[in-house]
Amino acid sequence: MAITWKKTMLAASLTLTLAATGCGSNNANNGASSEGASGSASAPASSSDTGASASASAASGEKVDILLGYYSDEKSDSKMKELIGQFTAAHPNINVKTQSAPYGQFYQKLDTQIAAGTAPDVWLSDGVYVMKYAERGAAKDLTDWIAKDLKADDYYGLEYNKDANGRYWGVPQGIQVGVLFYNKDMFDKAGVAYPTDDWTWEDLKTNAAKLTIDAKGMTEGESGFDKNNVNQFGLTFFSITEGWFSVLKSYGGGVLDETGKKSAIDSAQNKQAFEWIVDGMNRGIVTDPVDLKSFQSNTAVFPSGSAAMRIGLYARVLAANEAGLNYDVTVLPKGPDGKRVAPVIANSWVVNAKSSDAKAQAAWEWIKYWATQDDVQKQWAELGEAVPVKKSVANSDVFLKAGAQPANRQAFLDSLGFAQTLDVNAVWEEWVGKFNDNAQKAFLGDTSIDDALKSANTDVQKVLDDFYLNK
Amino acid sequence: MKHKRWSRAAAYLAIAISSLIMIVPFVTTLMNSLKTYKEYTSVPPRWIPETLQWSNYAKVLELGNFGQYTLNSLYVAALSVAGAVFSCSLVGYAFARLRFPMKSALFVMVLGTMMIPPVVIIIPHFIIFNNMRLLDTLTPLWVIEWLAQPFGIFLMRQAFMNIPKEYEESAKMEGCNPFQIYLRIFVPMANPTIATLVIFTFMGKWNEILAPVIYLTTNEKFTLPIGILSLGGQWVGNEQLMVAAALISLIPILALFLFAEKYFVQNHASSGIK
Repeated sequence: MAITWKKTMLAASLTLTLAATGCGSNNANNGASSEGASGSASAPASSSDTGASASASAASGEKVDILLGYYSDEKSDSKMKELIGQFTAAHPNINVKTQSAPYGQFYQKLDTQIAAGTAPDVWLSDGVYVMKYAERGAAKDLTDWIAKDLKADDYYGLEYNKDANGRYWGVPQGIQVGVLFYNKDMFDKAGVAYPTDDWTWEDLKTNAAKLTIDAKGMTEGESGFDKNNVNQFGLTFFSITEGWFSVLKSYGGGVLDETGKKSAIDSAQNKQAFEWIVDGMNRGIVTDPVDLKSFQSNTAVFPSGSAAMRIGLYARVLAANEAGLNYDVTVLPKGPDGKRVAPVIANSWVVNAKSSDAKAQAAWEWIKYWATQDDVQKQWAELGEAVPVKKSVANSDVFLKAGAQPANRQAFLDSLGFAQTLDVNAVWEEWVGKFNDNAQKAFLGDTSIDDALKSANTDVQKVLDDFYLNK
Repeated sequence: MKHKRWSRAAAYLAIAISSLIMIVPFVTTLMNSLKTYKEYTSVPPRWIPETLQWSNYAKVLELGNFGQYTLNSLYVAALSVAGAVFSCSLVGYAFARLRFPMKSALFVMVLGTMMIPPVVIIIPHFIIFNNMRLLDTLTPLWVIEWLAQPFGIFLMRQAFMNIPKEYEESAKMEGCNPFQIYLRIFVPMANPTIATLVIFTFMGKWNEILAPVIYLTTNEKFTLPIGILSLGGQWVGNEQLMVAAALISLIPILALFLFAEKYFVQNHASSGIK
């Protein structure tokens, strides 16, 4: 008896195992043809011998399979696939397999793949992550190829992916630059003149005060104005890119020094900038971190018609248009000494440092195709997600007359003249988190500005040291 | 008589109020799915949209490969449920009823694995499935469930331990072997727990996002949660579309729950020793 039931169990487990592996091997064929193409054939490649081998790429005629990764939504996904189709038609020797995921999930997957050694041969990286991949050895040094194949003057933002040693780690795919968005209806209603490029941050605040309206319809200065119950804010403001970064920089401050390895937070300039911010929040003119909590998201304040102005990247045009606002944009205000800084992020193509030479070259062909072909740039610009990288396209009607609103699209291009990347380095995400934690305390009045800056300085320096000193 | 009527009225009132509390979030969700983007983001919130945007649902179905995503999700969930019920009940039965060396130590080890945060094992899993050439297939998503997950083992073990020994003894006397006892006596008596396990596994797999994102590459193989998230995009929330999609994806879970619930009640009624 005992033997028979044991046999039954054994048989059952065997059947199960076979079923599982059988099923698996069916699917494995697909897996092998797709992932195997990118993973198994890759030979170790050093990142220094790039230039020498570039020439052999398209000419050899041998078929190359590459895996191309990008983040997307349904709309940009189909556009990207279309462009890849055009690319492969023009490059019959290159087979492109794609990998896409929604923005947040894309990086979870990518980081896992990098750890496992199966990352795409070329991928689209958020501009703020390029250095993270570069300094951890995941991205290939593209300096020689860029020098050889791309005319620097033709493009915006090539230098945004340059590190302190002058090496280039990516080629911009599209550019996000910050400008001042303003709701024309609200300005008209309050009888305030539209922002001009002469505005300083102080001017902005003076005007924002007139545009701040509480639940009873009062503005600052009227008796009974309740700064804790504001329905319409003068300026919405959050985190680094569309918040404190450009204020700090135009006041002459900032977070990291030019090496990117040392915190420079505890400065008189930063203190002055913080005073401007905290005062605005105290008076209910600028959204503080608690105000933001009552909105669906940090970015929803302006499109929902709850703020008269915002610092916004180019892509914020999409939500503003979707919400049907009557709005326009202009360059960001100046600091007290006339310094003006716009935040900029160049989302970029990055090549896998571990890809074989042939694959890396095929990947470079794709990047070159993206950057040099006006037609590709135009088609992508039509999506309206980013400022085109190629100057000739960005300065054409394709971009400047892309839609009725905002009328002053030139402001985005003008802003590139004084744009700075967000003190990007390998641990950008980590130090921004630490900075925000401390800044938030000052914004909410839980600590003094001096204490917040000191503590932010210590915390950020620790993040930097943990990475750079142990490297 | 009068007293009875009053107490009944009070009971109905209590039920009405609590069901109202339960239903408000659901109705809000439904209303949100029928708003325009502007109405969705407006502050103070507008509860009822000016015109009901039924087209949101059409847009959702049009935008993505939703039929395929749903099939994939169903495939993964069904195989996972089968695997979880089969493997967890077997292992749970062994821990509850069989005698073998190191039983308690092994059980503690099984429970111990529940303490490991899932993110920690992502990369090892990924590497294993990569070596097995199973990336970009749906297999990694369900095959793990056939290897008996600790929560299910624990659940089934507890259920089996509560079944009185007399059943086992009389079955033994009738000539059943342990496997027959498991299959004929224990499994039917643990049906309510199995229904719980089915719902948990199904919901877990249905809503799972991290594993599909990591293992799947081809759009045709995506499961529903990825599809729903890709409606959003990095720049424009399109939350109203995501809500609509989430509501559509709720239908199978509701169906399953209604089905399992019936089962649930039935079994409670017929169990126990007289």
